[in-house]
Amino acid sequence: MKIQLKELSMKFDDVLAVNGLNVHINKGELVSLLGPSGCGKSTTLFMLAGLYKPSSGEMYFGDTLVNNVEPENRGIGMVFQNYALYPHMTVLKNIMFPLKMAKVPHKKAEEKAIEMANLVQIGHLLDRKPKQLSGGQQQRVAIARALVKQPQLLLLDEPLSNLDARLRIEMREEIRRIQQEVGITTIFVTHDQEEAMSISDKVLLMKDGQFQQYSKPQEMYDHPVNMFVGKFMGNPPINMIPVTFDHKNLSIQINGTDEKLKVTSKLNYELVSGNQMLLGVRAEDFVLEKLEGISNSFSAKVDLVERTGRDTLVHATVGNHAIRALVNQDFVVKPSNIVKLSIRKNRLQLFDAETELNLVLGKE
Amino acid sequence: MIQKPTFTSTWKALLYLLPALVILLTFNIYPIIKSFIMSFYTDYDFFKDIVYEYGLDNFTYIFQDAEFWKSVVNTLVFVIGVVPLSIVISLGIAILLNTKIRFKGIFRSIYFLPFVTSVIAISMVWRWLYHTDYGLINYSLGLFGIEKIAWLTDPQWAMPAIIIMCIWKGLGYNIIIFLAGLQNIDQQLYLAAQIDGAKPWKRFMNITLPMLSPTMFFISIVSVINSFKVFDEVFALFDGKPGPAYSAQTIVYYIFEKFYNEWEFGIASAAAIILFVIIFLITLIQLRLGRSRIIY
Amino acid sequence: MQRAAFSKGFIYLVLIIGSVCMLLPFAWMFITSIKSPGEVMMMPPVWIPEDFKWENYKEAWSMAPFARYTINSIIVTVLSTLGELVTTILAAYAFSRMHFYGRDILFSILLGTMMVPGEVLLIPNYVTLSNLGWIDQYQALIIPWLASIFSIFLLRQFFLGIPQELSYAAKIDGCNNFRFLWTIMVPLAKPALITIVLLKAIGSWNSFLWPLIVTQSKEMRTLPVGLTSFSTEAGINYELLMAASTMIILPMIILYFCLQRYIIEGVAKAGIKG
Ligand SMILES: Nc1ncnc2c1ncn2[C@@H]1O[C@H](COP(=O)(O)OP(=O)(O)O)[C@@H](O)[C@H]1O
Ligand SMILES: [Mg+2]
Repeated sequence: MKIQLKELSMKFDDVLAVNGLNVHINKGELVSLLGPSGCGKSTTLFMLAGLYKPSSGEMYFGDTLVNNVEPENRGIGMVFQNYALYPHMTVLKNIMFPLKMAKVPHKKAEEKAIEMANLVQIGHLLDRKPKQLSGGQQQRVAIARALVKQPQLLLLDEPLSNLDARLRIEMREEIRRIQQEVGITTIFVTHDQEEAMSISDKVLLMKDGQFQQYSKPQEMYDHPVNMFVGKFMGNPPINMIPVTFDHKNLSIQINGTDEKLKVTSKLNYELVSGNQMLLGVRAEDFVLEKLEGISNSFSAKVDLVERTGRDTLVHATVGNHAIRALVNQDFVVKPSNIVKLSIRKNRLQLFDAETELNLVLGKE
Repeated sequence: MIQKPTFTSTWKALLYLLPALVILLTFNIYPIIKSFIMSFYTDYDFFKDIVYEYGLDNFTYIFQDAEFWKSVVNTLVFVIGVVPLSIVISLGIAILLNTKIRFKGIFRSIYFLPFVTSVIAISMVWRWLYHTDYGLINYSLGLFGIEKIAWLTDPQWAMPAIIIMCIWKGLGYNIIIFLAGLQNIDQQLYLAAQIDGAKPWKRFMNITLPMLSPTMFFISIVSVINSFKVFDEVFALFDGKPGPAYSAQTIVYYIFEKFYNEWEFGIASAAAIILFVIIFLITLIQLRLGRSRIIY
Repeated sequence: MQRAAFSKGFIYLVLIIGSVCMLLPFAWMFITSIKSPGEVMMMPPVWIPEDFKWENYKEAWSMAPFARYTINSIIVTVLSTLGELVTTILAAYAFSRMHFYGRDILFSILLGTMMVPGEVLLIPNYVTLSNLGWIDQYQALIIPWLASIFSIFLLRQFFLGIPQELSYAAKIDGCNNFRFLWTIMVPLAKPALITIVLLKAIGSWNSFLWPLIVTQSKEMRTLPVGLTSFSTEAGINYELLMAASTMIILPMIILYFCLQRYIIEGVAKAGIKG
């Protein structure tokens, strides 16, 4: 089922939790709703579920306007952050509950519930109570309960945040597997950008109830539309270096230094408001050289070298700006060395200091 | 749907509330107001439910009634006799129960037992224990060479008899609350104090008591309020009389007398209002004191 | 080491002496209840009667309409407990899960009235009941006690602790409010409900002043009221009086020993006034 949100807003007494959301989700896609805590993700999800009534805007499931449709009639399944399993019912009873409410005959309901339990691989736990299950198992029960009515849309509200790190990775793969097996349109809420990147077809990023960007995860990473998106995606966080733009030479100068770099990417000049900008470079997009005389590079002083097994993270200063660069393991460097940094081709972003918008033209 | 009240949600909620509200409005809220009004009835025909006259006469009568003042004094004696002793004893027992001992649960159950038993029935038992000639208490005292005490017939001993029985009956409740309070105290505080070299008595004074002050405060308010309302015990112990020569007449007994035996509804209501005011004021004072005394 | 053992011993000693003081009245009640009239008045007291006179119970039972009192007590206790349970569950649900105009004000008013001693309500309630013509009827013994602010408060607090998500999940599963309350909330609130029921049952079984005031005929009396009038009739026959007291106390003691965990924990958590 395709989903369409038009100018969807939600206002609590004095908080505008969601502000004019316009989104189109294709059938069978898994979309992550991403953003920092309190940005309105749950609120959006709850509106889709019909648990909150939007203050304004429209929601279409397929071609039907569902604003006034009761939750149980929306054809949705939902998984909550704390799973919200009924503590006094067994696993089987939990999964059967939605069917019981829909007055499905007991026998048939049980069959379906068991089938669903097997899909999420908890067929052997049917007689347990939720308290006797591990977090990951509870999670599976919650997913089974959400799917048992064969909904058209699956909503997941931070389903992994109560799990430990290892389980989280296992379960997110599991969710992806189940989702693709069932082929259900899914909205997955998370505040963890890595989780969103790894699992989704598309990511919708929000901040303070405001829409930020809606695109494929890799594109969001490669071409953030503004500074917030740039900073939010990626770990270690993107380097932001204040620079002054030279319109004549199409070059930038790092503030407080004489270091200059040529800008080869195409810029959207309509968005430029002045000559103060921030250069955004991801740690892995720096190229470090010890040699002098590399063109289009700047020098920095190494402060600290962190080795984390696979990578080496170099902390350095240029002028008075701290930067971080990921370099190859065999690159030997010591604190207080002076190194040359250049930037991979087309891997730099320039953000307007005032509007914070990304000035580099994207692929489209 | 769930966040804001609407007319629909209010109607729905009203349906859920209706059964409770009908009862509470009729038998809890309305009588409070009515009681105030009735205390100003000076001429009232109960059978026809007609009020001929309102006024302050009931209050003037009560304030000039020696019997009323006697019941106030008795009640105060009762409160002062019961509350502090009961708190000290129950705190002591609670602390002992909170140590690492066996049969904790059994002890706890035993001390709490009187709480679940009928005041009336157990008062009958105490009436028998207090019997001047054949009572177990006088017999036990006799073993120590103490002369027989006419617990229930000597006006001097009526109050002590009531007080002893009520302490006995109320201990369990206080112990349970104190135990809950004690179990809430962070054990690490004791460890820290022990490392600092504090001896058991110092630990009690510097950790247990201050940390327990909210519990203490709660118990003292509840005990004082309940003690002010003592009635069943008096009625049962003295066989439907307020003790020999009215020596154990309490405020509630006074209200009961005026209402049930003398049919003075106005006076009884006025006395009930005075009881309410007294309890209210004492609670306020305790709240005040409590605020400055509670350490954390 | 020795010191520790000594203080342990001291603790046990104090607790045991205290326990004896707590239990002695009950024991003495029972012992007296199976004595012969002669043994009752014997000094020094007889601790183990020559032969156990269980007939005392029969005699006490037949001297006053105790069967009737017992039935009355059971009717009043069961009906007022069940009734209160239903009104409490419904009201607590509304106060904890529903949003409606005036909710907080109404709730504060109700809480505020808990400050007022019950004795203040006695007289107007008597007038109301006599206007309704309910004096000396079961209605008077039961209906005023069908709702309790305290129980509502207690259960509301418990309900508030049940995660909101559960009701959302149920909503999506197609379970309406009313059904959610009975199939999810009530089973989950079992510990709180048991506490409420037990305390209510104990209070109802033992209550005295109210039944005393609203009953006139012997046929309507409950056990405690019946006992006080019996005590006058029994006069100096303490073995009969003790037998009657035992009959009243025993059901609650049995209930207590079966379910004491709920009672004691409930009291500890809620600080219910005795
Ligand atoms: N029921 C509510 N009443 C009032 N404010 C709310 C309510 N639910 C959420 N909010 C507010 O709306 C904003 C968005 O909340 P939420 O959607 O829960 O954020 P997220 O799920 O992204 O962490 C927050 O500022 C929060 O305080
Ligand atoms: Mg959230």
